[in-house]
Amino acid sequence: MDDQAQIVIDGVTHTYRPAHGRAVLALSDVSLEVRAREFLALLGPSGCGKSTLLYLVGGFLPTEVGRILVEGRPVSAPGPDRGIVFQHFALFPWKTVRANVLYGLERQPLSRPEREQRAQAFIDLVGLGGFEESYPSQLSGGMRQRTALARTLAFDPSILLMDEPFGALDAQTRALMQTELLGIWRRTPKTVIFVTHDVQEAVYLADRVAVMSTRPGRIKTIVDTRFGDRNPSILRSKQFVEKVDEIWDLVRVEAIKAQEDTAP
Amino acid sequence: MVRVADHSAPAAGADGIARTPTGRLAIAARIATRSAAVVLLLVAWEIFARSGKVTPFMLPPFSAVVVRIYTDAITGVLWINLGLTLYRALAGFLIAAVAGIALGAAMSRLRPVRWFFDPIVSVGFPMPKIAFLPIVMLWLGVYDVSKIAMVVFDAIFPVVTATIAGLQAVDKELLWSARNMGAGERELMWQIALPAALPQILTGLQVALPIALIVAVIAEMAMGGYGLGGAMMGASRFADSRGVFAGIVEIAIVGYALIKGLAFIRARLLAWHQEAEERS
Repeated sequence: MDDQAQIVIDGVTHTYRPAHGRAVLALSDVSLEVRAREFLALLGPSGCGKSTLLYLVGGFLPTEVGRILVEGRPVSAPGPDRGIVFQHFALFPWKTVRANVLYGLERQPLSRPEREQRAQAFIDLVGLGGFEESYPSQLSGGMRQRTALARTLAFDPSILLMDEPFGALDAQTRALMQTELLGIWRRTPKTVIFVTHDVQEAVYLADRVAVMSTRPGRIKTIVDTRFGDRNPSILRSKQFVEKVDEIWDLVRVEAIKAQEDTAP
Repeated sequence: MVRVADHSAPAAGADGIARTPTGRLAIAARIATRSAAVVLLLVAWEIFARSGKVTPFMLPPFSAVVVRIYTDAITGVLWINLGLTLYRALAGFLIAAVAGIALGAAMSRLRPVRWFFDPIVSVGFPMPKIAFLPIVMLWLGVYDVSKIAMVVFDAIFPVVTATIAGLQAVDKELLWSARNMGAGERELMWQIALPAALPQILTGLQVALPIALIVAVIAEMAMGGYGLGGAMMGASRFADSRGVFAGIVEIAIVGYALIKGLAFIRARLLAWHQEAEERS
């Protein structure tokens, strides 16, 4: 095993069995390695199993075929070493921003002032200072996702699992959040697996983009997308646009296939 | 789940209005309009009763009924009857609430419990539980225990079903988030699932509360003794029509007050909820 790989996904096949209806093969023989402090995007059309793969790494679903190792140990359950951020934020709506962020810290060996201080630091980091006592229902979508991000970052996972985290946001908020995520990622380096179906987002954020094929999900190719300095101006560079086009061609085929799949 | 739509501009206007003088006037006007139908009905009752078309025995005027309630309040009979009925209804309601939430939680968590109780709840919910009244009287007598038992028996069903439905609807991602942060099974239930299901559980309680009052009054009517229901039956036997109508008015007021009280508690408990902003 490559000693640089923090996450090893090895020959994972997953069948989704809904309570009603027939079983669906969601992932077929997926293998992937993610290095420590790498930003990897999982890109593919909807229904390609990219979220399923993320949930398996998170330990939320059991690995039935194949194996997933995190720092050499097989994943068996969720753990605070792998923090997850969901598309729809999954905030506790009856808790304030501060209480949401504190929730993950309550189970850590910290004194109360340390917890308070740490929560405040991460609320400030995501730019939500002044909204500590607000409830999620009083916040905009972008602010909710910032809260979710602060909550996950606060318990200091070494791995960040992001499930289309900006998918529910409007275009402007999304662009802002992308740049902010990169800023946060630079300040608190973590391994990130970022699920998205947005090619430009994937190329902009990630070091590598793993393109997935449609049902059953497989890793089709992995494209290196590391540029010199990632800032919004890069979005207009020739190099960036060409990269997006290249990956778009790979995804387009799958997206068309996915549409034919779901057509009646 | 409480996956709330994004409305970054909550209804700030409605809250602001209440503090201005014209706002207070508007609220008074709203209350007046809303209670107009009840006032109209009472006036019609008064006029009809005094028209001579009916005897005061069949329909005593509303004013006479009010006087009767006032006299009962002075002598203290009203408070004994009211207190007993409230005690029976609320004791039964509280037992049904605690037991119903516990049973609903157990049913949604433990397969054997669900296997056993699911059919029983399905059959028992639509059944007229009042049919068990003679049995309960045989087993538990005609005093508080049997009346409260009847209330619990009737009021528990909506609580159980609402708790199960609420817990089932809890967003999977909410539970996953909590597990991600190290919450164990017990914490998941107490800290995440039950609070997330609270809006639906409260709705179940709001259904159960009037049932509790109805059953308490009916049980009192059937078993006699003190209490609003028993007093009405007693009045009826003695051809005391004012007493009967006083009971009707008292029950209506008690029921209304209970419902409003629980709605107030709901608003306080769900201050975080989206509905708190939509209400205003």
